[in-house]
Amino acid sequence: MDEATREGRDRLVARLTEALARDHRVGELELEVTLAQDGLTVTGVVPTEERRSAVAEVLAERAPGVAVRNLVEVAGRGEPDAAEELP
Amino acid sequence: MIRIAAVADLHFGEDSAGTYRPHLEELGERADVFLVAGDLTRLGEPAEAAVLAEELADMPVPTFAVLGNHDHHAGRAKEVAKVMESAGVRVLEGEAATANVNGFRVGVAGTKGFGGGFAGASGSEFGEEHMKAFVRHSAEEAAALESALKALEADVRVAVTHYSPVKETLVGEPPEIYPFLGSYLLGEAVDRGGADLALHGHAHRGSERGVTAGRTPVRNVAWPVLDRAYGLFEIDRRAAGIA
Repeated sequence: MDEATREGRDRLVARLTEALARDHRVGELELEVTLAQDGLTVTGVVPTEERRSAVAEVLAERAPGVAVRNLVEVAGRGEPDAAEELP
Repeated sequence: MIRIAAVADLHFGEDSAGTYRPHLEELGERADVFLVAGDLTRLGEPAEAAVLAEELADMPVPTFAVLGNHDHHAGRAKEVAKVMESAGVRVLEGEAATANVNGFRVGVAGTKGFGGGFAGASGSEFGEEHMKAFVRHSAEEAAALESALKALEADVRVAVTHYSPVKETLVGEPPEIYPFLGSYLLGEAVDRGGADLALHGHAHRGSERGVTAGRTPVRNVAWPVLDRAYGLFEIDRRAAGIA
């Protein structure tokens, strides 16, 4: 994988994590990006399906040619079933 | 009975219109106040806040918020707060406010908070000015929260921060980043200030429940953690007749 040889894995993951935070299409700091022999995997939770798709777009732009496995989930939107009673 | 609805980390962008309000249909019937614990926007732009302000306009219950780290990213946090206030969302920055609901007075003290870590693994105000400034900011935020809580005259006191006051609600996040997610100083402020409940966001991979050293319930209401539109909490109090 060219990216792993040209650029340290840690540096690449850090760069991509920051890109996901700074890109206006995503803006999420809490996504976890990992790099393995078979490519990138990104996990986390985002508010919308559009944001989830944007994660894959940003990674494809920033790490061209690297396989991306987008395991990001969309946050649930249902109203709570019940209230928690607190002391 | 005082019913509190809360969420954090909505991360609204300019394209987020209509993505959240439709899921709050029952909130007006099920809650007395609505609290948003920071990261209102994606990148801290007033234009993003304007979309959320429109989304939360005319909420059926008093609505309070604090800012989060994302809301400061563009260096325009004051404008973000002003935009939210124009929609009737009271933004608390180291201050408190009250709402009279159903014969009870609900007090909300809010501040962003900051990191620094927890007992045994926390930063010290020592060394480079950058490090001292980091720790000092955390202490100042905690002090503001404590003061705001103590100033409240209310039947119920709720502390709202973006950063976490305890470690337990961070479980699920890598422990190496706990110092960037909260501070024990906030936990001390929650207890010294006499809060009945502490709500926070920020830790998307954290856990829902925790408790301070003084046994105050702490709840992580970050949207990814809740996995529902908001959390709902009930506190049973008799009106104390506070003037």
